[in-house]
Amino acid sequence: MATAPNDEKQSAPKEVLLRVDSLSKIYDGAVKAVDDVSLTVNRGEIFGLLGGSGCGKSTLLRMLAGFETPTKGKIFLEGQDITNLPPHQRPINMMFQSYALFPHLSVWENIAFGLKRDGMPKDEIAERVDKMLSLVQLGKYPKRKPHQLSGGQQQRVALARSLAKRPKLLLLDEPLGALDKKLRETTQLELVNIIEEVGVTCVLVTHDQEEAMTMASRIAVMSEGYFLQVGFPEEVYEIPNSRQVADFIGNVNMFEGVIDEDEPDHVTVNCEDCIQYVGHGISCSPGQLVSVAIRPEKILLSQTKPDDKYNWVEGEIIEIVYFGANSTYHLKLTSGKVIKVQEINTTRELTCWRTWGAKAYAHWNDMAMIVLTQ
Amino acid sequence: MSQVSNRVFAKSWMIGVYAFLYLPIITLIFFSFNDSRLVTVWSHASLRWYGALVNDSDLISAVLLSLEIAFLSALMSVFFGTFSAFALHRYTRFKGRTLLSSMASTPLVMPDVIVGLSLLLMLVSIQHWLGFPQRGLFTILLGHALLGTAYANVVVTSRLREMDIRLEEAAMDLGCKPFQVFKLVTFPLLIPALVSAFLLTFTLSFDDVVLSSFLSGPGYSTMPMVIFSRARLGLNPTINAVATVTIVVVSAAVIASSLYQSHQERKRKREMALAYSNKNS
Ligand SMILES: Nc1ncnc2c1ncn2[C@@H]1O[C@H](COP(=O)(O)OP(=O)(O)OP(=O)(O)O)[C@@H](O)[C@H]1O
Ligand SMILES: [Mg+2]
Repeated sequence: MATAPNDEKQSAPKEVLLRVDSLSKIYDGAVKAVDDVSLTVNRGEIFGLLGGSGCGKSTLLRMLAGFETPTKGKIFLEGQDITNLPPHQRPINMMFQSYALFPHLSVWENIAFGLKRDGMPKDEIAERVDKMLSLVQLGKYPKRKPHQLSGGQQQRVALARSLAKRPKLLLLDEPLGALDKKLRETTQLELVNIIEEVGVTCVLVTHDQEEAMTMASRIAVMSEGYFLQVGFPEEVYEIPNSRQVADFIGNVNMFEGVIDEDEPDHVTVNCEDCIQYVGHGISCSPGQLVSVAIRPEKILLSQTKPDDKYNWVEGEIIEIVYFGANSTYHLKLTSGKVIKVQEINTTRELTCWRTWGAKAYAHWNDMAMIVLTQ
Repeated sequence: MSQVSNRVFAKSWMIGVYAFLYLPIITLIFFSFNDSRLVTVWSHASLRWYGALVNDSDLISAVLLSLEIAFLSALMSVFFGTFSAFALHRYTRFKGRTLLSSMASTPLVMPDVIVGLSLLLMLVSIQHWLGFPQRGLFTILLGHALLGTAYANVVVTSRLREMDIRLEEAAMDLGCKPFQVFKLVTFPLLIPALVSAFLLTFTLSFDDVVLSSFLSGPGYSTMPMVIFSRARLGLNPTINAVATVTIVVVSAAVIASSLYQSHQERKRKREMALAYSNKNS
C-alpha cells in the first residue's frame, strides 16, 4: 500500500528484482507502442503502470511476460538477461485482464495447471492448490467450471492460478477491469492484502488513477509509449513534473501566466484572472510562460473578499456536484474560465450560501500551487 | 380476425413445406415393403426386397466401400483441414496469405464436375508418367479428401476465430511448451468443431456421386453410384430397401446425438443450480 514510502526507503535496503533497459516495441515498422522505456522494480514492490488507452501499457507487460519480442532493449530479472527467454521458461506469471481461465477445466484444475507442468509430485500439488483456494476464499468450489462462477470469483481463481507457481514477478493487466465499481473498491484492498501476504513483486497495469494510487507503491505515468514520470503516488500527485501528468492524475485547475518577479524565496506569476504568489523559488526566468496548477481540494471558497493582493479569484457558482462526503463547485471567473473547488461537507446544514448563481471568492495559500514549465 | 387467418396461413405453409420434404421419403419407405416388382404399384406387404438386399452382394459391397471411403476421407479432411486452418489463422503475416486463404475455400464453390474432371485429368497424366495410382479406392479417397479438407478448413477456422488467443498465452505463461499448449488447451477446445467437421465431411463423401464417378476405376462403385446406375436402368425395389436402411441408420444417429446433447445440457443446468444453491447456504 501507498503508506510511508520514506520509512521503507530507510529501513529495508532495496534490492532490484527487475531491470528494464531502454525497451522499445515498434509494430509493423511504424507504430511505436513502447518507446525507449527504462525502469527498475524492487523486490516486494507493487509497481503501477498508469496511462490512457493505447499508451503501450499492455505491450510493455506482454514483453515482460515474453509474448512479444522487444524491437530494442533488454530485460533483466535478478540480474539475469531474460530478453530472449520464451514465456514458459520465465519465472514470471501473469493475470490476464479477461482472466483467460481454461473453460474446459475446473477451478481446481485451473490452479493446478502450472504446477503439473513443473512435474511437481501429486500430493504437493494438492496441498498447494488447497492452500491457494483458501487464500482466495474459494475453498468451497474446487469442482466448479469457470462458467459457474461470478465475475469476482473468476477474478480470484485467476489470481490463485497466477500465484500458484510462486512466481518471482507477478504481472497484473487491469486485474479489476471487469468488475463493477463497488466490487472493485473492496477487491482492491483484498488483492493488495493477498499480494502482501504472499510477498510477491508485482507490475500492475491500470488506467484508473485511483486504483494505481491505492494499490501501487510506485507509479509510472505513461503516454504514447514512454514514461512521463515515475515516483511514489504522493510525489506524482503533489509534485507532477509536467502539465500532462498533473492533468492525468486527479483533477487540476490550470492557470497560464508569465513570470514577473523571480526571487530565490518567491515567484510571482501574472495570470489573466489573478496574480499568483508562489512561496518558494523555482528555476525560471522573468517573462517565461508557465502553467500554475492547483488541485481543487487545496482551494477554499468564501463569501467575503479575501484581504490579500495575491492568490484569489472572484466568480459565480455555476454548478455543484454533490458526492455526499464532499462537493465540487464549478466557479465561472470573470474571464470566462471555469475552475473547480472541492470542499468537505462538514455540516449537515442543507441551506448554505454556496448555491447556484451565488457569487463567491476562491483563494489558496502560497504553497498550494505547482508551477509547471513543461 | 387477420391474426387467425395469419395463423391458418402459417400452419398450412408449414405443413406444405414439411410435406414437400418428407412425402417422397415416406413414399420410398412405404414402397420398400411392397411385394410387387413394380415400384409404383402396391400389391401387398412383404420383406421380399430386404431379403433380396441381403443377397445383393454388389449393393452390399458398394455400401461397405462407401462407408470405408467416407470414414477415411473424413479423417483425412479433418486432419488436413485443421492444419490449414491453423496455418492460415495463426501465421497472419506471410506473403500471399489472402490469396491462399481464399483459394482454400474455392473447392466449396467450384462445381463438382469441374473439380472431378480436373482431378481426373491430372491423375491420368500422373499415371501415364509414373504408372500409378491406379484408379479406384485411393483416387476416390483423394478426391473426397480434397473437397472435405476445404469444408473442414472452414469449420475449424470459424472455431479458431472465436477462440480466445489469451487462453493459449495463459497456458504458455504457466509453463507449457508450444506442443503442450496445443495438446492441453487448443485441442480440447477444438474437439466440438472437429466432431462437426468429421460428420460434415463424412456425409459429403457418403453422398457424393459426381467425384466418385470421375475418379473410380473398374470394380470400385460406391453406393450412390450403384443406386444411380440402377435407377437409370429402371427403378428397382431393392434400392428402396437399401435407402430405407440408410434412412433408419441416419435418423437413429441424429436422434441419439440430440438426446445426448439435451441430456448433457440438463446435467449442466442441474450442476449450476446445485452450485448456486450451495452458494446461498
Ligand atoms: N499486435 C499489434 N500490432 C500492431 N499494433 C499494435 C499491436 N498491439 C498493440 N498495438 C498498438 O500499440 C499501441 C499500444 O497498445 P497497448 O495495447 O499496449 O495499449 P494499452 O496501453 O494497453 O491500452 P489499453 O488501456 O486500451 O489496453 C496502440 O496504439 C496499439 O494500436
Ligand atoms: Mg491494455
